[in-house]
Parts: sequence; structure tokens; C-alpha cells
Amino acid sequence: MRVSSVRASLSSRLKPILPNQPLKFSNISSAPTPVKLQTPLFLNPADYRATLSDLKKWHLWARGLASSVGTKFLDLDNGPDSALLHRELNWLIEDSLQDPIALLSDNSDDSLVVPLRACLDDLYMLWKQRIEGRRPFQYLVGCEHWRDLVLSVQEGVLIPRPETELIVDFVSDVTKENEVLREGLWADLGTGSGALAVGIGRILGSCGGVIATDLSPVSVAVASYNVQRYSLQDRVAIKQGSWFEPLKDDEGKFAGIVSNPPYIPSEDIGRLQAEVGRHEPKLALDGGADGMDDLLHICNGAASMLRPGGFFALETNGEKQSNFLVDSIGSQSEGRFCDVKVASDFAGIKRFVTGYRAG
Amino acid sequence: MISLILKRSAFLEQNHLFKPQFCFQLLSSLTQSQSYNSSPSSQNHSVLPSGYGYLGKKNSGCSSSSLQRLEIPPGILCNGRFYGSQSQTAIEPSTSDGLTVDGIIANNWTILDEDESDWKSHASAIAQSIHLIKKRLKWKNLLVRVRMLSFQLDKPDLWDDPIQASKISREHGLLTGKMNEVKKFEQELLEHIDMIKLSHEENDPELELEAVKALIQMRRSVKEKELEALLVEEHDSCSCFIEVQAGAGGTESMDWASMVMQMYKKWAQRRGYRVTVVDEMPGEIAGIKRATIRVDGENAFGYAKAEDGAHRLVRCSPFDSANRRHTSFAAVAVIPILGEGLSHYHIKESDLRIERFRSGGAGGQHANTTDSAVRITHIPTGITATCQNERSQHSNKASAMAVLQSRLDKLEMARQAQMNAQHTQSLAENTFGNQIRSYVLHPYRMVKDHRTNYKVSNADSVLEGDIDDFILSYLSASLDKDEDEL
Repeated sequence: MRVSSVRASLSSRLKPILPNQPLKFSNISSAPTPVKLQTPLFLNPADYRATLSDLKKWHLWARGLASSVGTKFLDLDNGPDSALLHRELNWLIEDSLQDPIALLSDNSDDSLVVPLRACLDDLYMLWKQRIEGRRPFQYLVGCEHWRDLVLSVQEGVLIPRPETELIVDFVSDVTKENEVLREGLWADLGTGSGALAVGIGRILGSCGGVIATDLSPVSVAVASYNVQRYSLQDRVAIKQGSWFEPLKDDEGKFAGIVSNPPYIPSEDIGRLQAEVGRHEPKLALDGGADGMDDLLHICNGAASMLRPGGFFALETNGEKQSNFLVDSIGSQSEGRFCDVKVASDFAGIKRFVTGYRAG
Repeated sequence: MISLILKRSAFLEQNHLFKPQFCFQLLSSLTQSQSYNSSPSSQNHSVLPSGYGYLGKKNSGCSSSSLQRLEIPPGILCNGRFYGSQSQTAIEPSTSDGLTVDGIIANNWTILDEDESDWKSHASAIAQSIHLIKKRLKWKNLLVRVRMLSFQLDKPDLWDDPIQASKISREHGLLTGKMNEVKKFEQELLEHIDMIKLSHEENDPELELEAVKALIQMRRSVKEKELEALLVEEHDSCSCFIEVQAGAGGTESMDWASMVMQMYKKWAQRRGYRVTVVDEMPGEIAGIKRATIRVDGENAFGYAKAEDGAHRLVRCSPFDSANRRHTSFAAVAVIPILGEGLSHYHIKESDLRIERFRSGGAGGQHANTTDSAVRITHIPTGITATCQNERSQHSNKASAMAVLQSRLDKLEMARQAQMNAQHTQSLAENTFGNQIRSYVLHPYRMVKDHRTNYKVSNADSVLEGDIDDFILSYLSASLDKDEDEL
């Protein structure tokens, strides 16, 4: 009974915002300004050609460049070292060649013509951007492997972090035994690439659904594209707007809320690793003076947005923010939440706060 | 004497069991073709159990009457005289004039080259091959095992434990398939001889030539089967992990470890296996401290297991400014990847500690890194597994879990084998003391296997992955050394 009513409300919520026609790369119906979507490199047709000997030349050059870095970036700002860059180079090859084995095995014929997904000049340019411009690898290839997903990303969208994968595990754990949560409506606030929305959309039951919001039109476009790539249009909707704003109609109905909001204190923004500080959107990183602005806003809103028994999971900057959040929930929300816990990421940092809306 | 009786009774029983049972034979050959799939890429353990379950059920169902009729507890084999003496000639396959496969061997006909047209030479070569195959299959044990599995398949409560049941029916299908194949060879050989003798008597040279040709053809195919019969152990058909660890000696031995790893990558590629690097810890200057690759394909473990042990290199080190001669070691471990449902060791989630492998700094939004390496520690055993070559933390974790599962399986198998002395030899401890092969690049060039004394002087081609001859000579040596009767 309960479940079917959720389903009814969900489909009516999802309907108006689902694009009626297939998404066009340059024309997203839900975005007010046209956003040019970048196709991930590995999805491009292999329309370019190069001889194996030219490709090997490029490979040698690129390896030399990667080796020259040593631990320079690591010492400077905790950036990538040579070993990591070499691995990224292999992945770049993996994404841009139809048959990567040809390049990596040494007994192939050099005059062989190899099909490529980007022209050789672009490969030179991309790798130069990576090393000299510290452009994140994920923007280079236009995708990030996250959990068992390959998500499209591009400049203007935060690259989903490995730590955040665990939020999907939390949701998977709590929905396994709880049908109301499994078949309910979830919200992903500040979805970015849509990583959490897609990840959660794939583990919910047949009646469950996710509404994801983001202020950035680029994020809305990229997240919508990722939702389409995984054929989740029926259960994941992307809406443009700030935090809970696009969700007002469903106040009190959410079975779960997840978010990885900006949480870096403003004063740290200038000292970030070059890949992050120079290339990723500030909007997704800067959490105000102590980095808590958005986390506190979401906590406050969650109390009224969640249904009784609803679950929330938030990512934070670490122990200090997590503890602060738990304390403030305890003192200000006066019993509106229960079972509030701090959970660690795989590096042992107290990264997450989870809990339930009191029933 | 006893062994002769045993053999006869086993033969007798097999004939009773299988010959008249068309449906049974058909089903076991079906099962066999699935589990012993010869295409290298299509092996998929995880889908097997349910399929076998179905076949097994049918299998035991339609053959139950004959099995019940023959329900003899294993111990009764010693009393097989009753069956053996009664219908000995009818049971052992033979030509119309009473020549048996063993008889052909006993005749000791000279074996000539294939292009000679003397049929006795071909017949003798085939009989020798069949004998070798039987020996490699441990024929006597095989027959007993098949019989035991048949009894278990026939138990009414078999399907109370579906996992165990499908395991039994799978093994039964596999073994009967092998058994029937050998019997088919014997039958075929004798039929060809009959045909040759008959056409000779009838003075039909055309037909005689046909029959001799068929015999030559058979000689070749049986020869190929000899090699296949080398892979008879339980997990031989599995994919595997190959791990290489550098011994003491700094950069020189790390370089050697990476040469060894390269050798296996190339070997695997040659064989058409899929190679994935799971874990690699590079040395500071050159080479690797250790590395793990995953080798996917039919019989990958069966072959690669021959490489388990320490490999020794002697050369003038390019890392030694005085260019002195160095000896270094690399330890190789080969671990089978058992399919789903076949694992020996059950891992409890609560026994695991999962960590980011190289974590530093604030992480989260502060860091953009493609490095999501994960280390999983199995707390009760202290065994760890690391994976860093996947592109997401989730995949790194899954990959590391697969390595951990296989390591724990191996540990468990070794533990079980220790209780069963018969197997301890094949699962020798993998330590640097267990030196299996030397690669000498200076002052002369030679690669020599210490277990078989097989050696070649072209060290470069060996390091390029040409190790099949080493593997085959080791496998045949370890299987054929027992002089016991079959």
C-alpha cells in the first residue's frame, strides 16, 4: 500500500522533468543555457589513423615526460608521481586505441596503420596538458571510473572521488533489509556528474527513484547524460536548482538523502593540489569560512524533507567537521534524528555522517 | 595378480554400467562437453553448477536401475573374481582373433615412422600412447573414483545439498568423459586391426590401404591426447594468478623479477591467454619488488603450476659498476582461481580490514588522484592482497578480493593436502629454497630445470616466453615417474 503510493507520487514527480526527446549534445532541454557536452574519449568512433611507428614515437615521448616528473608534484602539493602518471598513460592508450595490445607488445610491424579515437596531434596536446598544465586525467579522457560505472565528466563538473563510492555501499546496506527505503524516493543534493544518483538508482527496488539537484547547468547536463547512458531515465531525474529548492513539492516524503556538498574551508582553496585548484569548479569545493555552510544547511533541511525513518549520509572534510555535525544535530535538532554515526573512509579518515530521521 | 583381477573387474563393471545405457552415455558426454570445453576462451566456471545440477539429476534418474543392480560397495572390488572369471573374454575388448590392447604392447612390435605403411608399427605406437594416457589418468584410481561418484549420484538424498550434488555430477561427467574416450580409442584400434586383417584375407588392397590410413590418422590424434592427459588434476582447467617476488640482492634481483614476469606475460600471450596486471610494486631504480598478474584461459593453471618455485639467474650485472657476476633469485607462486561455488575457504566480511594503499593528505575533495589502490587484510591469517591497476576503488577492491580468495583457497588446499600425504609432494612449499630452474647468461648461456634436468642453450628465447617445453617435460616427468601399473 505504502509502496504503491510512493510509486504513484514518484512517477508524477519524475515525469515533468524527464526530457521528452533523446538528449542532444548541444541542446539540453532542462538546462537554461546550452551546454556543450564532451563525449568521453573511449566512446568516440576510431576515425583517426596513425602508423604504429608514429604512435610509438608519441608513446616514448609521453613516457619521457611522465618520468621527468619524478616526485616533483608529490612534494609540491601531493600531486601525482611518475609511477601514477605512467599508469594514467596506459589508461589514455586504453581509451584512445581500439587495440591497445598493438602498441604495448613489441613484436608488431611498425608500418601497421592503427585506428585511433583521437588524432595523434591531440594525443600530444592532451598529454602536454596533463603534465605541464596539471589538467586532471579524467578531464583528458572525459570520464572517471567510479564503482562499477564509467561516468562522463568534463570541466565544470567535480570529478567524483573514490571516497564517495562508500556512500552507495551505505545505501546498499540500509536498503537491503528495509523495503520502505528500498522502494522509496531518494534525493542526491549537488549531484555533480550524477555519480551518487546513478549508483543509488541502480540498487533501489523497482518502485524506488532518485531526484538529484545541482545549481550548475553543466552538472545538470552531464548528470542527465550519465543517467541516460545507464538507462535510468525512469528512476533518476536531474533538476537544476540549489539544494532542496527543486524538491519543495516532496517535502517530508524522502526515504533518503545523500550529499557530497562543498566542504573545503575557503582559506584552504588557494592551497589546493593543482589538478583541483586550477581545474575543478570552486562551486563544488568551497564550503565557506569553516567549510560547514552547506553541510549545516543540508542537515537543517533534511529534518523536514525526510519521512520518519528516512536515512541520510553526508560526506565531510574529516573528523573535525564530522564531529561538529554530530554535535550540532544532537543539540539543535532536539531528537529529530536518531542513530547518528560517523563512518571512516578506507584511509581511516572520519569522512561520513549517517543517521535516520526519528520515527 | 590382484591388480589383474582388479583391472578385470573394473572393466567388467564399466561395461555393464555404461555400454547398454545409451541415455546415460549421452548425458555424460553432454556433461563432459560442457565441463571440458576445449575452446580456450569460453571457460566459465560460475555458470556451471546449475547446468550440471540439471544434467546430474537426469543422469542419476535414468541410470538408477542399472546402478542399483550393480550396487557393490567399494570394498567388494577385491572379490571381483566372481565377475572376472565368468566372462573375461567378453569383457576385455579384443579383435576377432583375440588380440587385446595389452597384447599389442606385449608383442613389442617395432615402432617405425609414421610414413612407413607397416600397420603393426602404427598399432604398437597407438597402444603405447593409450597406455601412457591411462597411466597419466591414473586409470585404476579413475575407475574407482567414477564408481564411487556413481554411487553418490544415485543416493536419494543427493539433492539435499545442491552445491555438493552439482560438484559430484560435474566431476562424474568429467571423469566418465575421459574414461569413455580412452575406451573408444581401444575399441577403435581393435576395429581397425580387424579391418586390416579381414581385407588382407579377402585380398582387397584398397580397403586395406583405407584401414591403414585410418590407423595413421588415429596415431596422430592419440599422440595429441597424450599431452592433454597431462592436465588431470582437479584445478588444472582453471585460470590462475602468477606472482613474482624479487629475492634479496637489490636492484639486480628486482630486475630479474621483472624479467621473469615479462617471460610469463609473453608466454601467456603466446598461448592466447588474457593477461591482466593486478598488482605491481616497482623497484626504486629498476625492475619490480613484486607483481601479480591474472592469467585467464582454459588450463592456464594446469600449465603454469609447473613454474611454482624459485628461479635463479646468473649473469654479469648491468647494475654493478664493476660488472661482476651476480646470482639472484625470484620466487614464483601460481595460484588457481576456483570458480564461484568451488571455493574452499569462506571469507567472513567481519574478518577483513580494507585500507587505501597509499593514502596521504586530506583526501576527499582536496585530492584529485586516479590512484585508488586498496589493500585487504584477512585478519585471522594475516594474509593480504593489494590491487592498484584498476581504474576505480570499487574494482580495485573486487580484484584484491579475488586475489585474497585464491590465496586463502590455496592455503586451505595445502592444509587439506597435509592431512592427505599423497598430495603433499605436488604442493611443495614455495620458498627460495625450492629452486626449480637456473638461467645462466654468463660465462655460458643455458637454462636448466633442476627437477627434470631438461635444458636448452637458447636462454633468450626462453626469456621471451618460450617455456612450453620446460612445462611439458616437468608435467610428464611428474606424472610418468611412477612405474606402477596404471
